[in-house]
Amino acid sequence: MSVSLIAGTPKGAAILTSKDRERWDLHFELPGWPVTASARDDRGRYYIAVNSPNYGVALFASDDLKSWKQFDAAPRYRPEDRGNPEHHRIVGAADFEGVLKHGGRFVDQIWTLHWAHGTLYAGVSEAGLFASRDRGESWQPVDGFNNQPSRDTWVPGAGGLGAHTILSDAKNPDRLWVGVSAAGFFRTDDGGKTWAPKNKGVDPSVEAAPASTGQCVHSVSNDPENASLLYRQEHRGVHKSSDGGDTWQVMEDGLPVTELSDGHHCSFGFPCVIDRKSGSVFVVPLDGDNFRFPRGGKLTVYRSDDGARWKPLGNGLPGDCYTAVLRGAMSADQLSPGGVYFGTASGALYAGADLGERWQEIAKGLPRITSVAAYAG
Amino acid sequence: MSVRVHMPPVLRVVCGGERWLAADGTTITGLMRALAERNPALRLHLFDEAGAIRGNIVFLHKGDLVRSHEAGVRTLADGDELILTNALAGG
Repeated sequence: MSVSLIAGTPKGAAILTSKDRERWDLHFELPGWPVTASARDDRGRYYIAVNSPNYGVALFASDDLKSWKQFDAAPRYRPEDRGNPEHHRIVGAADFEGVLKHGGRFVDQIWTLHWAHGTLYAGVSEAGLFASRDRGESWQPVDGFNNQPSRDTWVPGAGGLGAHTILSDAKNPDRLWVGVSAAGFFRTDDGGKTWAPKNKGVDPSVEAAPASTGQCVHSVSNDPENASLLYRQEHRGVHKSSDGGDTWQVMEDGLPVTELSDGHHCSFGFPCVIDRKSGSVFVVPLDGDNFRFPRGGKLTVYRSDDGARWKPLGNGLPGDCYTAVLRGAMSADQLSPGGVYFGTASGALYAGADLGERWQEIAKGLPRITSVAAYAG
Repeated sequence: MSVRVHMPPVLRVVCGGERWLAADGTTITGLMRALAERNPALRLHLFDEAGAIRGNIVFLHKGDLVRSHEAGVRTLADGDELILTNALAGG
C-alpha cells in the first residue's frame, strides 16, 4: 500500500512517500528548477520535466526518487519550425532579449509526460508532441501532430498554446489522444501519423473561435484498459464521451454551475482524474473563469461513478479557501480502495482516502503546486 | 589558454556540483561552445533551438555586463574569469 507523490512547483519537486497512506515523509528535490510534470515507466524509473525561463527545458530520471540525473537531450523543435505569433506574445514577457522576434518555434515548457507501449511521450508548449523510445535518452518530434493541418487555426489560451494532456489505449498502441489549450482534443488511430479533432458536442471557448478546433480543453482522463470512455473538464464545463471522443455530452448534474465572463453557465474547473478500479471520476469546480476559487470559499472535490450524478466531497477540506487546483495538480494512486491527491496554487497538498470520503492535509507551505502524480508501490 | 567560468547554483546539478568550470575560448560564445561540447547536458541550458546562447543569460566580465547577443564579439584572455548568470527578473 505504499504510495509516492511527486508534486511539481516553480521551485522544485516535493516528493512524499508513505507506507500506509496516513503518515507521509517529504523531501524536496531539484531546488531552483520549475518542475512541471512527472511520469514512471513500466520498469519503475521516474522522470521529471523542468523548465526555466533562463535555462530552458530538461528532463531528469531517477530509480529511487532521491538521486536524479539529467538527460543530455530534451524535446526540441527544428530551427526551421515556425512559431505561433500569439503564443510568442503571451510567453514573451520572459523573453528579455527578443529571441522570439525571429519567429522560431520553441519548447518553453513540458506540460505533461506519459508512458505507454514502451514510449515516453512529452506534451509541450508551444503546442507539440515528442516521443522517446529509449527511456528519455533521445527525443523525436511527432510530426503528424506538430504539423496537424489545422495548426494555423489554433489559438492559445491565456497560458499560451500548450499540449497538456496525453492519453493512451492499453489495447491499441496506434491510438493516442492529445489535448491542447485552446485548440481542443485530438486523436490518432494510426500511431501518430494523422490526427483528427475530437470536439463534437463541446462548445468553442468563444463564439469567434473555430468550431472544430476552438475548444479550451483543460484536462481529460481515461482508463487505458477501457480507453474509449473519456471524461473532460473543459473551460465550458464537464463532458463525457463513450466513443473515444467522437461525440461528447455535458454531464453536470450535481456540480456547481457558475457564470463565465461571457455569460455562459457551466461548471468551470481544471483537473479531471479517474480512479481505474472503481471507475469514479473527480473534478474540482471553481467559481467561473473570473474568480477561479471554490464557490463560497469552500474547497470541494466532486466525484461521480458514471458522470450522470456528482457527489460533493469536502470532509476535511478547508473553508475560507480562495485558491485553485490547477489542471495537472490532481492524481489517483489506482489502489483499492482508491486514494486521490491534489495540490493547491497556495502550496497545500491533500490526500483523500476511500475515494475522497476523508481528506487529510499532508503538506503545506509549498510553493504553488502545478502538478501532482501518485505512484503506487 | 584557459578561462574560468562561475556557474550559477541552479546549473551545478549538471556540472557535478562544481562552482567553477574551466575551458578554452577566445570569445564568450566560443567558451560556451567548448563547455557544451564537453557536457551535452549543459548544452540544453546554454543554447536554444536556433543555436544561439539563451536570451536571458548574461555574463559579467571585467566589470562589464555582457548580454548574450554580444557574447560572440566579447574577447577573452588567458586567465580571465567570467560569471555566468541570468537577467534579473522580479522586483
